[in-house]
Amino acid sequence: MSTLSATQRASLDAIADVLIPAALGMPCFTGAGDVAAMVDHVMALRPELTEGLKQALDRVGEGEDAAAAAERLNQEDPGGLATIGLVASSAYYMMPEVRRIMGYRGQEQRPATAEEENDWMRDDLLQPVIDRGPIYRDTDGV
Amino acid sequence: MGEIAEVLIIGAGASGAVAAKHLAEAGVKVVCLEQGRHVASTEFYGDKPEWELMSQRLWHPNPNVRGLATDYPIDTSESDVNPLMFAGVGGSTLIYAAHWQRFKPSDFRVKSLDGVADDWPFTYQDLEPFYDHMDVEMGVSGLAGDPAYPPMTPPPLPPLPIGKIGRLAAKGMNDLGWHWWPAPQAIPSRAYRGRSQCARRGTCMQGCPEQAKASTDLTHWPDAIANGAQLITGARVREITVNAQGLASGAIWIDRDGVEHHQQAEKVIVCANGVGTPRLLLLSGGDRFANGLGNSSGLVGRNLMMHPYAATVGYFDEPLDSWLGPAGQAIHSMQFYETDKSRGFVRGAKWNAMPTGGPLGMRSAYGGAPLEEAWGENLHRATQKRFGHSFEWGIIAEDLPDPENRVVLDDSLTDTDGIPGPKIIYRNSENTEKLIAFHLERQREAMEAAGAKSISTTTLMRDCGWHLMGTCRMGKDPETSVLDQWGTSHDVPNLHVLDGSTFVTSSGFNPTATICAIALRSVMHMLETRADQRVAS
Ligand SMILES: Cc1cc2nc3c(=O)[nH]c(=O)nc-3n(C[C@H](O)[C@H](O)[C@H](O)COP(=O)(O)OP(=O)(O)OC[C@H]3O[C@@H](n4cnc5c(N)ncnc54)[C@H](O)[C@@H]3O)c2cc1C
Ligand code: SF4
Repeated sequence: MSTLSATQRASLDAIADVLIPAALGMPCFTGAGDVAAMVDHVMALRPELTEGLKQALDRVGEGEDAAAAAERLNQEDPGGLATIGLVASSAYYMMPEVRRIMGYRGQEQRPATAEEENDWMRDDLLQPVIDRGPIYRDTDGV
Repeated sequence: MGEIAEVLIIGAGASGAVAAKHLAEAGVKVVCLEQGRHVASTEFYGDKPEWELMSQRLWHPNPNVRGLATDYPIDTSESDVNPLMFAGVGGSTLIYAAHWQRFKPSDFRVKSLDGVADDWPFTYQDLEPFYDHMDVEMGVSGLAGDPAYPPMTPPPLPPLPIGKIGRLAAKGMNDLGWHWWPAPQAIPSRAYRGRSQCARRGTCMQGCPEQAKASTDLTHWPDAIANGAQLITGARVREITVNAQGLASGAIWIDRDGVEHHQQAEKVIVCANGVGTPRLLLLSGGDRFANGLGNSSGLVGRNLMMHPYAATVGYFDEPLDSWLGPAGQAIHSMQFYETDKSRGFVRGAKWNAMPTGGPLGMRSAYGGAPLEEAWGENLHRATQKRFGHSFEWGIIAEDLPDPENRVVLDDSLTDTDGIPGPKIIYRNSENTEKLIAFHLERQREAMEAAGAKSISTTTLMRDCGWHLMGTCRMGKDPETSVLDQWGTSHDVPNLHVLDGSTFVTSSGFNPTATICAIALRSVMHMLETRADQRVAS
């Protein structure tokens, strides 16, 4: 279900591409796949963001340069710009393509393997701590 | 009206669950009233892509951010720190990180050793058997022999791996000759008593989707209910009632249809946490106890301690998989725990080395900063620097009791049932500020020794009031304390408090192991002395 008008969505795409450009091996916001569907998903889960998002997007002038609009919003309505940034980055970092590039499979299920057990012992890592002996204050008779 | 409960427990969190299980197992007729509801593990987002998004709202630890009807709002306008908690079966353990830390012997002797605050009315040795017992009930993973403690019974499960971040942090500590140890956690390293082995999702603070973490909805409530305890959810207590003899006689509660009930009881145990309990006592007592129930000392709500939290994040070149759980702590350090007055302050802190989570981080907090600082190419740069390549050394700073730091009733805020909410008045002391500054300097050294390429620090995190303590302190003298050493009110002999409100000092440790051990000790005493107690009839 789309709650943004076509104009609002175009403004979101333009500003989000300023906030999240293609750089350092990462795609820009609109280059990450079907971000529109993900934005709708974000708004469905966080409906309290919708009003603020729309209001901020409505402040973008028709044909206004996106970078200039983002700068202006950040000065005039930092809360609004933060909402755009939050919605855009939340959607972006949930995109499968972005996660693939980052090597992030989400908060994955990865129970410890037998090899990982006792990793605190490997290379005698803990030995110096044991060798130094007790460090607690004695309270006998206090 | 219903039947008269032998014991009425208010609050189904950590302490309430421990009390309910042990009383019910001893054949006591228990009723527990809990304002929250039962939360199923499938409701948590840890196993879903939306985890970070939802952790900023629905699963945020600050009830003012969540704004759920099951929570009560809290006025924090005069507090340096926001209190954090969760309402439900299991209480705040649903979202706790499960660091399972005992206090040290010196924590119970603060006045005698350091000349500040007060000594506790019992010792570490008195509490030790109950710590041991709780380790088994919770299924604690850890390693015996930590030189920061006296010798102790090994926990039932071996430690979880400390992982890449733990090993890196440990190497730095070894270079400096500083203490560290694999951290004890109420998280099973192997399947344990019907709970799964930890899957290391790292989402413990937004609820464990694996039914692994020891939250008391899993560890205690099933046994309590199987033994006959009656748990009523959606039951918001508005007042503890008092009879003509000045004894607690039950509680008035409101159901989710707005209907008021009176649960009568022979004895009342309040387990509503360090904020909820003083709130309720201040709301109770009627004309006879105009200052609030059990408050002849005037100390109900006072001496609030919350462990101001500061942290140091180190960024590393090598991949550390630093979203991998548990979210709580891989290793801990008590190198600077005990008092050394040459540092210019007393007391100390535990450090915990923790993972730094997913890619989204704190993106919403950037509005207003220069655009290019947080966004554009710098967004990718910052994410690549932090995500998977960093860990945090956190500081659990001991804050000393100060009567001016307190919980009072707010004049305008109410919960959804129209009951006045609490207001928190809390300021960091000079001792705390010096303590944090010292520890942050040492953490920078620890991060450098670990090989961090760059370092950032947080001097005080506002959303850090995970630990709510001290607001109905125990003590021997009714003029300077609210409860005796068993959590029994000095004023009302059948009124008991078993949550973190009971604490005399805060220690530099996460409190829940101690809350549960104290609750168990008090309940065992209650059972042993059952025949001699005064109850409402
Ligand atoms: C995010 C987070 C992380 C934490 N991590 C750790 C950790 O790693 N280690 C650690 O030791 N501790 C940790 N804690 C603290 C730990 O959760 C608490 O110490 C512990 O749960 C306190 O137990 P309690 O019984 O005092 O209260 P709670 O567990 O808070 O339970 C109180 C219950 O009382 C109910 N209640 C309150 N008022 C009323 C009323 N009027 N009517 C009916 N019901 C009421 C509440 O709904 C709640 O369910 C953490 C806490 C949070 C929030
Ligand atoms: S890390 Fe372990 S305890 Fe924490 S949420 Fe994941 S499975 Fe549960």
